[in-house]
Amino acid sequence: MKSEHLPIIEVKDLYVNFYTYAGVVKAIDGVSFTIYRGETYCLVGETGCGKSVTAKSLTKLIRPPGRIEKGQVLYYREPGKEPIDLLGLSEEELRRIRGAEISYIFQDPSASLDPLYNIGYQISETMYDHGLISSIKEGFLKAVDILKSVLMPDPETRVKNYPHELSGGMKQRAVIGISLSNNPRLVIADEPTTALDATVQDQIMDLLKKLKKEKNLTVLLITHNMGLVADMCDRVAVMYAGRIVEEADIYELFKNPLHPYTKALLKAVPNPVKKIDKLESIPGTVPNLIYPPPGCRFHPRCQYAMEKCKSERPPEIWVSSTHRVSCWLYS
Amino acid sequence: MKCMSTPLVKVVDLKKYFPVKGIFFTKGYVKAVDGVNFEIYKGKTLGLVGESGCGKTTVGKLVLRLLKPTSGKALFEGKDIFKLRGKELKEFRKKAQMVFQDPYSSLNPRMTIFDTIYEPIKIYKIKVSDPEKFVVELLYRVGLNESHLYRYPHEFSGGQRQRIAIARILALNPEFIVLDEPTSALDVSVQAQILNLLKDLQKKMDLTYLFISHDLGVVRYMSDYIAVMYLGQIVEYGPAEEVFEKPLHPYTKALFSAIPIPDPEITRKREKLRVPGEPPSPINPPSGCRFHPRCPFRQEICNREEPEFIEYEKGHYVKCHLYSRK
Amino acid sequence: MSEIYEKKLLDKFSDALIEGFAKFLDKVRPGWYKKNKARVDEWKLMAYALNRSPPGLIGLALVIVFIVLAIVGPYIAPFNYDTPLTAFDRDAYLAPPGTVITIPNTTAAKFLGVRSGNYTLLLGSDDYGRDLFSRILYGARTSLIVAIMVMLVGPWIGILIGLVAGYYGGKIDEILMRFTDIFLAFPGLILAIAFSAVLPPRIQYFLNANPAVRQFFLSLFSLKVQHAGSMAYLVSVIIALWIVWWPGYARLVRGLVLSARENLYVEAARALGVPTRWILLRHITPNIIGPILVYLTLDFGGVILTEAGLSFLGVGAVPPIADWGRIINDGSQYFPNSWWLVFYPGLMILLTVLGFNLIGDTLRDILDPKTRRSIEFKLKKKKQKGEKNEV
Repeated sequence: MKSEHLPIIEVKDLYVNFYTYAGVVKAIDGVSFTIYRGETYCLVGETGCGKSVTAKSLTKLIRPPGRIEKGQVLYYREPGKEPIDLLGLSEEELRRIRGAEISYIFQDPSASLDPLYNIGYQISETMYDHGLISSIKEGFLKAVDILKSVLMPDPETRVKNYPHELSGGMKQRAVIGISLSNNPRLVIADEPTTALDATVQDQIMDLLKKLKKEKNLTVLLITHNMGLVADMCDRVAVMYAGRIVEEADIYELFKNPLHPYTKALLKAVPNPVKKIDKLESIPGTVPNLIYPPPGCRFHPRCQYAMEKCKSERPPEIWVSSTHRVSCWLYS
Repeated sequence: MKCMSTPLVKVVDLKKYFPVKGIFFTKGYVKAVDGVNFEIYKGKTLGLVGESGCGKTTVGKLVLRLLKPTSGKALFEGKDIFKLRGKELKEFRKKAQMVFQDPYSSLNPRMTIFDTIYEPIKIYKIKVSDPEKFVVELLYRVGLNESHLYRYPHEFSGGQRQRIAIARILALNPEFIVLDEPTSALDVSVQAQILNLLKDLQKKMDLTYLFISHDLGVVRYMSDYIAVMYLGQIVEYGPAEEVFEKPLHPYTKALFSAIPIPDPEITRKREKLRVPGEPPSPINPPSGCRFHPRCPFRQEICNREEPEFIEYEKGHYVKCHLYSRK
Repeated sequence: MSEIYEKKLLDKFSDALIEGFAKFLDKVRPGWYKKNKARVDEWKLMAYALNRSPPGLIGLALVIVFIVLAIVGPYIAPFNYDTPLTAFDRDAYLAPPGTVITIPNTTAAKFLGVRSGNYTLLLGSDDYGRDLFSRILYGARTSLIVAIMVMLVGPWIGILIGLVAGYYGGKIDEILMRFTDIFLAFPGLILAIAFSAVLPPRIQYFLNANPAVRQFFLSLFSLKVQHAGSMAYLVSVIIALWIVWWPGYARLVRGLVLSARENLYVEAARALGVPTRWILLRHITPNIIGPILVYLTLDFGGVILTEAGLSFLGVGAVPPIADWGRIINDGSQYFPNSWWLVFYPGLMILLTVLGFNLIGDTLRDILDPKTRRSIEFKLKKKKQKGEKNEV
């Protein structure tokens, strides 16, 4: 089970900018959070809120025009020992960590697989690269086991299949297989089921839960789907316009949301098991992060906005040991 | 149920097969829509639910006559739309409209908002004394204003663009609108705005909707009736509340339990009906009941005989061997 | 940041130009300005994009110089294109640039329309003693007229065929594109050679039968009546280029239409019941006009280059018509001693074609909405900063 309060990743004051043709997009603006060993931590938010960028920044996967401006990503390789700052490592050192200790599952499984090689080869390749096996041939045998562990139907044949011969769900299983092949300590799943249908999404989520239990993984789940958050996570951080506006234990967040954005968001999601007469919508649209609103970035859409909100950035307020919110209403 | 005279839209055994071309011969057919029946009453919304590739968008296009069916009928105000000619067809085109999924590409980037909204008026040669005032009124109806009149689509956000697309079809005073995943490209906070707008308009203008979506939450919020599609067929059809509270077909049950509910207390404790595998290809659909390879309740009969589409309870139809006519 | 743009002098100039044009349109059609304000702003942004692109400005300058030379050249040329100066001064034979010759006051000079006095041959002269500078000016006219004549017809055949083939698809597309393939397989050079062997006598016959047409063409090319026969060869080149020039456009436009008609807004228009012709005209054409415009501009240089090439090979212009390709061909036998006969016309071809290519490339950027958005954002940012400073 969860080893309480032993952090694995600590993100401190992260800033990421994108230098686009239109101007500088302040995509991540001072994000801090801690992921503890064995938990499923979730970043939730709408398109462009910076959740994916945050996930990619953890191992410096940000490519130009993006740039990590400031911040620390402390990675506790062994529990209780001195952490390493991942942002200070060289590309070569990071490559050894990426895929081996911290691995990713991306949204589009077809983009993560090379169409020219069969599944078995692609699984073996990562293991070979990280020195877990001595030859690709040996990898094929292991690959069958791995495909079995991700509940791929008929793994002995599938291992010789090329990506185009697999369905969407099977591809995502293969991708999960690849990313777990090196026994990573942290799995970052970036919208892993957005491209999949409902019934397949459910299968994949069940699989992730099962693997997490079996291998005692730590998972960082990135999603825009409140349902998935409710289903999967232990703790959740709500992001809006490049900042974390609220972070809480999962039950706490749904029962007692504090930030006006979180409140509105939860009320704007249509619930399939309840008859709702009127959805509450949030007026306006997500701001352009080239010219983000000053002060609290949510204030132009917030019904409780005060004068202070328009000019000063709200501080992080810990309302309880597991619940923090960035809002002037609670200061 | 309520006594209604005739439905506004009635679809009878509608089929659409797309040929798969080989080098010389047609190799086979994608049975995108294979014998679909439903009715939509005036002022009501039918939610058409299903996973990608189940044929729901094809149904939407068929009932607007944007595609020719392989066989079957679609009645609009009692007349088969595929037999309409000349003036009648033009009148139908005016009354039945569509809102598309992706507002980022459904507006012509080279046309101002005025031109976009006024285009249908020009096409149908409707007499408007003051075009500008006419368009501004439409903009107000969808929550925009006159400052947007002579601007181009790129200056608008996704939600605003969808509002423009809606204003455009409202210009024709339609009676029936096919909404093809109108909010799936939008964020949750904006989605709620558009859904509420659509509901308001429906109430004010007595509109009839065919709401196509894969998002059950949205469908439940919008619909009076639900039709669940699987591999080109409707497997369950009935009043929304009944279908959501008492789903009959195993696929409906599986689909509903696969949707995570935005409430940790409920979603983690509820019982789920899990089905293995993925929808097979509609080129060679399974024999008998199309869901049988994945169905946990499959019987011997299921792969031999295609179940009938029966009225199990009043107004609640299902296509499954588990249920026989009461 | 350093990337904030201020409005430069050039921007103010282009603004004024565009505003003036817009005001004019507003006068012609009242209410136009209000409805098209967004469009006028786009034009201004396009102008800003051009103002910030040195290659584009250089290209524009080169092209403007070329066009001006082609128009006024024949009037400012010191001599006619066929005046043999050797008749007056032996020094004019293959004179190097800068040679000063003296023209005596004789009846021959009067007959040839040359005033007496001292002349500096700026770019030298050829083996007939014809002034190279004058011939190059006349050559600009020849190039421009040939290019315009080809571009007025050739591409449009292709654009029309491409539009129809792309939109209707199916059998119509198949037939039109196979037809295009046949023409694409025609070797342009051989066709031009064949035409120059067969066509000129007929063209000459036609021109003689229609003096008005002949006069029109002669004044376009700025040629003397007695050279109408030589002009027939130029016309035959134009006709040959019409035939080989359109298939490229048919393919380009068909491809553009095929991708444009997949756009959701075309489907949305169809769902509204918009007729096909209207969709082609209002929804597809405006969205593919950009690439076509770029291609047309680049091709303008292409035609000039091809025509010069054909003349160089002896297929196009024939003596004594002044044509850059022809001048190089005639001068090449005296190369490298009389280098100017090859160098200056060659330089002119280079600069002109370069000018069109630079403009074409810049146009590609300007017509790309992304470029405009970027400039717009930068200007807005500037404005915001400015407002802050005022506060």
